[in-house]
Amino acid sequence: MLAVIGHVARKEARQILRDRRTFVLLLVMPIVLTFLFGKALETGGLRQIPSVIFNQDGSPESNAIVTAFSTYDEVQIEREVGTLQEAQDLLAQGKIKAAIVIPQGFMKQIETGEEAQLQLLLDGTDNNSAPIVEGVAQQVIQRYNAERAVKGLWARGVRPDRGQRLIQPVFVQTEIRYNPGLRYLSYVMPGVIGLTLQLLTVMLMAVSITREREKGTLDQLMASPITRSELILGKLLPYFGISLLNVVTILFVADRWFNVPVRERLPLLLAFCVLFVLTSLATGLLISAVSRSQFQAIQIAVFYILPVFMLSGAYAPIEAIPQAIRPISYLFPLMYFCRAVRAVTLRGAGLLLVWKDLAILGGFFLVFLYWAVLSFKKRVA
Amino acid sequence: MTLAIETTNLSRRFGPVTAVAGLNLTVRTGEIFGFLGPNGAGKTTTIRMLCGLLLPSEGSARVAGLDVATEAESIKRLVGYMPQRFSLYGDLTVEENLDFFAGVYRLSGQERRRQVLETLARVRLTERRRDLTDHLSGGLKQRLALGCAMVHSPAILFLDEPTAGADPPSRQRIWDLLYEAAAEGRTILVTTHYVEEAERCQTIGFMHRGRFIGAGSPEQCKADMAEDLLEVDALPVMEAAAVARGLEGVTGVSIYGHTLRVFSKSAAHLRQHLHEILTARGIAVKSIRAVAPTLEDVFMSLTRDASDGNGGR
Repeated sequence: MLAVIGHVARKEARQILRDRRTFVLLLVMPIVLTFLFGKALETGGLRQIPSVIFNQDGSPESNAIVTAFSTYDEVQIEREVGTLQEAQDLLAQGKIKAAIVIPQGFMKQIETGEEAQLQLLLDGTDNNSAPIVEGVAQQVIQRYNAERAVKGLWARGVRPDRGQRLIQPVFVQTEIRYNPGLRYLSYVMPGVIGLTLQLLTVMLMAVSITREREKGTLDQLMASPITRSELILGKLLPYFGISLLNVVTILFVADRWFNVPVRERLPLLLAFCVLFVLTSLATGLLISAVSRSQFQAIQIAVFYILPVFMLSGAYAPIEAIPQAIRPISYLFPLMYFCRAVRAVTLRGAGLLLVWKDLAILGGFFLVFLYWAVLSFKKRVA
Repeated sequence: MTLAIETTNLSRRFGPVTAVAGLNLTVRTGEIFGFLGPNGAGKTTTIRMLCGLLLPSEGSARVAGLDVATEAESIKRLVGYMPQRFSLYGDLTVEENLDFFAGVYRLSGQERRRQVLETLARVRLTERRRDLTDHLSGGLKQRLALGCAMVHSPAILFLDEPTAGADPPSRQRIWDLLYEAAAEGRTILVTTHYVEEAERCQTIGFMHRGRFIGAGSPEQCKADMAEDLLEVDALPVMEAAAVARGLEGVTGVSIYGHTLRVFSKSAAHLRQHLHEILTARGIAVKSIRAVAPTLEDVFMSLTRDASDGNGGR
């Protein structure tokens, strides 16, 4: 049994090494993917949302508001426009996401004690930028209001520090534990690592048996006394070796380039990566065992990988997924991987806290592997 | 004499299609048995059932005394299979392919090494052993495939069209190897649609639409042909063929170069009649004589009978 598994593994490894181009791709792709995904998600939030200002009032007060807006990084004031129509046109053309309108009489209204308004025109098609601009506007106005109030009180003999206290008696004191910079990248990196590892392993394994089926070599093998487990384990081994290399390079990129804390709990982290890789390899084998052709195998693999992308909580917490479909998330090994690796890298969780996820991944591996062996028939009934 | 292969009413259906319909086959140990028949006759399906790759729908088969339905994995250790389609790893070398299959058949260490070297020498590929299989010519690939099928010294060899598409010298070399293997006591079941190859077998079975329509030694098959055969040398040959086909009692006409081969129920009666009619139509008849059938004639005759029996064309 072991001798034959080793024999098959050697032959597979020989074929992989002989196909130089694919082999190099296998080693380089994970690094490139991790780097690209990581870079793409590094900032996390939107910055420099293109906006214009229509300063109809042109008063010192309205100018102060315009200046206040320009200090925010989230909003990029492209320019000031001359008419409301112009702002509307730019919004309709999609050239800007927001128009800030300060109506005529703004200062006068403030000084006579009438209600003054700052108007926002927002592009609702981009539901990410609209609330950000609105938030910025709220902050600008809040600060403006507070400053005016302090000045007003001072005029009536209240000292500014005392006036400040009167206007805002309560403050929020925040202390962020774990991921103090609230870096989105630190949050998302486990997902990036998991997706990269999964993409390669599932795809590679998915075509491994179907390729032999298509080339006819499987026929010759099936006519021999090799057992299904020998063939499947023999195929798994060399790809497992490559995946281990990939784990090392990916973690290296995460550590060196993105400053994701992987070193503190390295053994536990490696244990998760190894088990997750095994689970993904078994998933690919299962796909390969039930597919008739390479084309079909790749189709199934894509249909598997896409929902995983969306539903496994790799980019956003699964709590953001509606209750109705959330149970599906629990079917994907990647969900457990992300959850646990996040806990390990960000909260420094030890085995005691994450052993369940480790066990679940192990369970997935065994079930998928056994299922693959069973689905793979040596004889056509 | 012991039987290497024995099937009883062996059948295989694929959905509504019956590929093998109640085949009764016996192959003696040590003989070369040729499976002859047109494409789609069920030869490959039969071999795949005997190798344990396909489960019979009905009937039973024993290979080396073992039941294909229940003891397929034991059979696989004893037989070698060369599929119709080239099925080796193109990205491995000649030697690596042999070594891989030797290992898959559970040979190890010194024994595996010895078998690989022996097989390389046997199929005369020792010089090319470090070449990638993809770089071999068609004939060499077939020899390597044969080598891989027998690297574990099987008692029974199943060869599905081992010479398909090969040129005559390559074919000759493959047949030399088959005779050599048979001389070592191995049983060989080989399919072909080359009639002249069937002549080389000790026993042949004509397969048509999933069943045997004739079997025996080549000599016996020729002697058993139900029809008589006349060879007609006449000009122009196409017109002569058209006339002959229209005659009563004529069951078939084939053209070979400038002669016709005319099949009939009774040649003695037809011979004179044919001569008269051809001459009357202005066709120059050089000679008409009764001849012994070749295997090809037998094949044509048998498939015609079987087709008529099934409602014909």
